[in-house]
Amino acid sequence: MAPIASQYDYDLVVIGGGSGGLACAKEAVNLGAKVAVLDFVSPSPRGTRWGLGGTCVNVGCIPKKLMHQAALLGEAINDAQAYGWKIASPETIQNDWSALTEAVQNHVKSVNWVTRVDLRDKKIEYVNGLGQFKDANTVIAVMKNGSKKELTADKIVIAVGGRPHYPNVPGALEYAISSDDIFSLDTPPGKTCVVGAGYIGLECAGFLKGLGFDATILVRSVVLRGFDQEMAEKITNEMLDHGVNFQFKCIPKSIEKKANGKLLVTWINTESDTEQQDEFDTVLYATGRYALTKDLNLPAAGVEVVPENGKIDAINEQTNVSNIYAVGDVLQGRPELTPVAIHAGRLLARRMFGNSKQQMDYDNVATTVFSPIEYGCVGLSEDKAIQKYGADAIEVYHSYYKPTEYFIPQRSIKNCFLKTITLKEAPQKVLGLHFVGPHAGEIIQGFAAAMKCNLTMEILMNTVGIHPTVAEEFTRLNITKSSGKDPNPASCCS
Amino acid sequence: MSASLARGLRSPIRRILNISQQSREISTSLIHNDTIVVKNNDDFVDKVMNSDRPVIVNFHAEWCDPCKILTPKLRELIEPLDNLDLAVVDVEDHAELVHTFEVKAVPAVIAIRDGLVVDKFIGLVDATMIENLIKKLSGNKPNKEKEKETAS
Repeated sequence: MAPIASQYDYDLVVIGGGSGGLACAKEAVNLGAKVAVLDFVSPSPRGTRWGLGGTCVNVGCIPKKLMHQAALLGEAINDAQAYGWKIASPETIQNDWSALTEAVQNHVKSVNWVTRVDLRDKKIEYVNGLGQFKDANTVIAVMKNGSKKELTADKIVIAVGGRPHYPNVPGALEYAISSDDIFSLDTPPGKTCVVGAGYIGLECAGFLKGLGFDATILVRSVVLRGFDQEMAEKITNEMLDHGVNFQFKCIPKSIEKKANGKLLVTWINTESDTEQQDEFDTVLYATGRYALTKDLNLPAAGVEVVPENGKIDAINEQTNVSNIYAVGDVLQGRPELTPVAIHAGRLLARRMFGNSKQQMDYDNVATTVFSPIEYGCVGLSEDKAIQKYGADAIEVYHSYYKPTEYFIPQRSIKNCFLKTITLKEAPQKVLGLHFVGPHAGEIIQGFAAAMKCNLTMEILMNTVGIHPTVAEEFTRLNITKSSGKDPNPASCCS
Repeated sequence: MSASLARGLRSPIRRILNISQQSREISTSLIHNDTIVVKNNDDFVDKVMNSDRPVIVNFHAEWCDPCKILTPKLRELIEPLDNLDLAVVDVEDHAELVHTFEVKAVPAVIAIRDGLVVDKFIGLVDATMIENLIKKLSGNKPNKEKEKETAS
């Protein structure tokens, strides 16, 4: 297939074969462009590598959700007994880590394969090499064996994503692992210290505890910084009740390997200014991710980055160089989520090759933290709503609720909570929906579409719920924070 | 038995006349009916497309659990037969074959006779379907009945 812009090898070269890059490439090819995709995985400090598909498929969303599911199933086996299932020796039920990781990795590999087959079918050239700019229209791909391939393109999209950040703590690089490694770890992680209380740290500590491993989280400042803090507190309380050990206001000082093979972690409590130590089998760093722009040789193309974090501050996904664009986690100030990258990548391709003018709407993007008790939300947090509109202009409806299925196995309902943040003025436009509880991801999704239709509290209150579900609680909300009334439910069905 | 040995002799001889072969591979086909391991595209054309015998081509992957059930089952049923071959293709190593035969999922079973695709299954199929396919291609009854015949 000859390119439309005939003086170049390709109409489009995409650097990065992850969620954003592949979506952009596939849409571009649908619109008649000749496209090449570069993808390369530099091994993690522990030596882990993986195939085509990016972070989400290999070391992110997919394996994470599968491990979260594995942990939930462990809980379900327990609950099942209350429902009459006869389990011979419940105390002997345990998870086989190597069976779990094999099953997860088999699935990941099948997705890698289907992705490659799909690129081939769509006639997208796939180059397994690390991309570097030679100039604004030329990219050099360096293969694992050192050989190089030069590609010229009319347009280039940077979709290189990011990797876990390893800080300058003695022993971190030598002994710690990250989310890059946990999903294919060849020995069970054992007693684990998770450094970081963002969603990655919480989710990892959560499923590790659920699978039967001792888990400790070192929290530098707050849990889930940037998220609604009232909801973050509910998740923290639930995880504490589950037996996860939180060390608040603590930062690691050093990691040493002892003669018995275990890792001795020393940390400083910044509040009391004291030092503490404990021995672990594994230390998992989850203190943030950095954009992979350093290896791109961006100066050769003249593309600017934000100096603090290497991210690209694009306007409508276009960099300061007119034919070079960026999409996905590499973008400054945008949600680092797969569906965001996919959607933005597709719209970008339509603007590049399809005469579309539609820009990506980054507002009201729904998301879910898959902690042991899940947290789903769409729209503004309470703090951000107050910041934007002022406390007097908003109303918060809140409630605790009791999932029907929890009564029989006597599961704790202490942290089953939801709230809706609205403008006070009629018809009370909904600014944010927040839900902590089972199946949060599935529940919030539909409400994201409702938000796009300018959902108001009047509409929500006039929506008939499905019973018995937990989602219907959004239609039953009627107690406001400002009223001071008790948000605990009296009983079901009224 | 000697008749089938003679039949077995003729096809590799034809292959020698057509394309140069490594002697290792020819002797394997003469002595007993080993599963064909496809090395590259030319190998496939030679051993499968140009074969006088029908070949069941099993597309297989290490990460595919149903494949781990189907492939051994196919070997068990086909290896004893002398007028039907089995070729196992690892999809990770043979991207072009995967593309040519439009294999979108594994396990996939493609029956080839005289260079043409005569049947295709995707997914784990039960023993009855495999046996019917074998019957269709080789005119053979499934293995157990054949043994009874030669014994009597």
